[in-house]
Amino acid sequence: MAELLRQAWAVARKDLLLEFRTRTAIVSAVVFTALVLTVFNFGRDPTAVSALDLAPTILWVTFTFAAMLALNRAFQLELENQALEGLLVSPLSRTSLYWGKLLANLAFVAVVESVGLPLFVLFFNVPVGRVLLPLVAVIALATVGFVAVGTLFSALVIRTRFAELLLVVLLLPFLVPPLIGAVQVTARLLGDRPLSEAVGYLKLLAAYDIVFVSLASFLFRFTVDE
Amino acid sequence: MSLLHRGRWITLLGLALLAGVYVRALAFTPVERLQGPAQKIYYLHVPAAIWAETAMVLVGLGSIFYLFLKDRRLDRFAAASAEVGTVFAAIVLTTGPIWGKPIWGTWWTWDARLTSTLLLFFLYIGYLLLRGAVRDPALGARYAAVLGICGMCLVPFIHLSVYLFRTLHPQPIILKPSAPSLPGSMLATWLFSLGVFTLLYVGFVTQRYALSLLWEERNGA
Amino acid sequence: MPEVPQNAGYLVAAYVVTAVILLGYTFSLYRRSSKG
Repeated sequence: MAELLRQAWAVARKDLLLEFRTRTAIVSAVVFTALVLTVFNFGRDPTAVSALDLAPTILWVTFTFAAMLALNRAFQLELENQALEGLLVSPLSRTSLYWGKLLANLAFVAVVESVGLPLFVLFFNVPVGRVLLPLVAVIALATVGFVAVGTLFSALVIRTRFAELLLVVLLLPFLVPPLIGAVQVTARLLGDRPLSEAVGYLKLLAAYDIVFVSLASFLFRFTVDE
Repeated sequence: MSLLHRGRWITLLGLALLAGVYVRALAFTPVERLQGPAQKIYYLHVPAAIWAETAMVLVGLGSIFYLFLKDRRLDRFAAASAEVGTVFAAIVLTTGPIWGKPIWGTWWTWDARLTSTLLLFFLYIGYLLLRGAVRDPALGARYAAVLGICGMCLVPFIHLSVYLFRTLHPQPIILKPSAPSLPGSMLATWLFSLGVFTLLYVGFVTQRYALSLLWEERNGA
Repeated sequence: MPEVPQNAGYLVAAYVVTAVILLGYTFSLYRRSSKG
């Protein structure tokens, strides 16, 4: 177990160092998030629709895009430098490779979301102060779900021709159940409704994470083994 | 008789019996009072939906066993079930709106079954696209199996999330859809249709499986 | 008693579409297995 974590951290650290040295990916993702939020503002009539009604949708569409960007980056790195082969030849276990990738992707998306959320609050004047902690928890739950499946699927599409496109097509059905949960809980939090109404959705998110993180980490070996 | 021919005969039998379902449903089953004749769309819509989903579960099961047993036959079966499942999902997604328009007043409603089947349809499309995108057949089979297992595991979550969404967001309706308990004659028609769709699934999958064999022979696999 | 809705047109459309899909797929399987 400790060995697994150590190896995973080694993989994650490598990816994160690469990302933060060049910084282009992270900056692009943050800028992209800001742009999307800006576009959403012009896409609605402020006199007709209150920001609070649309807020959960806007937030989650933005975060979903951000997660997709992060995932597209993940295996691109490997493919570009043929680093994947190097990783596979090394004595790293396949499972720790998955966990390393997962951690790196989560860190990437977390940075983007940490910039996105304040921007969202600012642009749409949404009061999150009181519910910040539960909101961050929901964001974390849903993001883990997206990224867990997405990290696995990145490995599936890496050698195909239209990899980025195929990744999105494969991933979208898997994003819908956690997205439904995330949007509904966010809506209740922002609308100041009691959390008890959202319990079903929270259970959905938690169950999804448990099932798909385990499943993805187990199945990963079949995507990179000969 | 070769597998292909057996598949063709089963399919032909299924199609012939389907004609029987049509006759029985259209001419010999009573019209539902509240919904009118359009209610009879159910006799095709629901069995198709059942098989669209069952086919996905079978893809998942075939995929699990393929990953562990490495038996090519399981992979061929999974590929076949996926293609046939897509066809049945297409039937659900076309008959659904055609039923929805007179009953609910709109072509599309995000009701539980249609939404679930739509997501299922996207799962199938993704699966078929992945199979087509990976050139090496052994690799493609393995990748498809991974996706198939994930797809099968997603199905309960699709149902759960759609159920939660629907129970807390009731839609305005013009007519309530018919309750699951059907009186005698209607139930018989429905069961007959389910049997025919089962037969069609078997026939189609057999043919598609035989097609895989044919392609493998041709490519010298 | 309210009148039964007159929506047989939709019924026919749905039955036709289903038949088209099923027959179409049957034909597709036949074509693909007969080529060459």
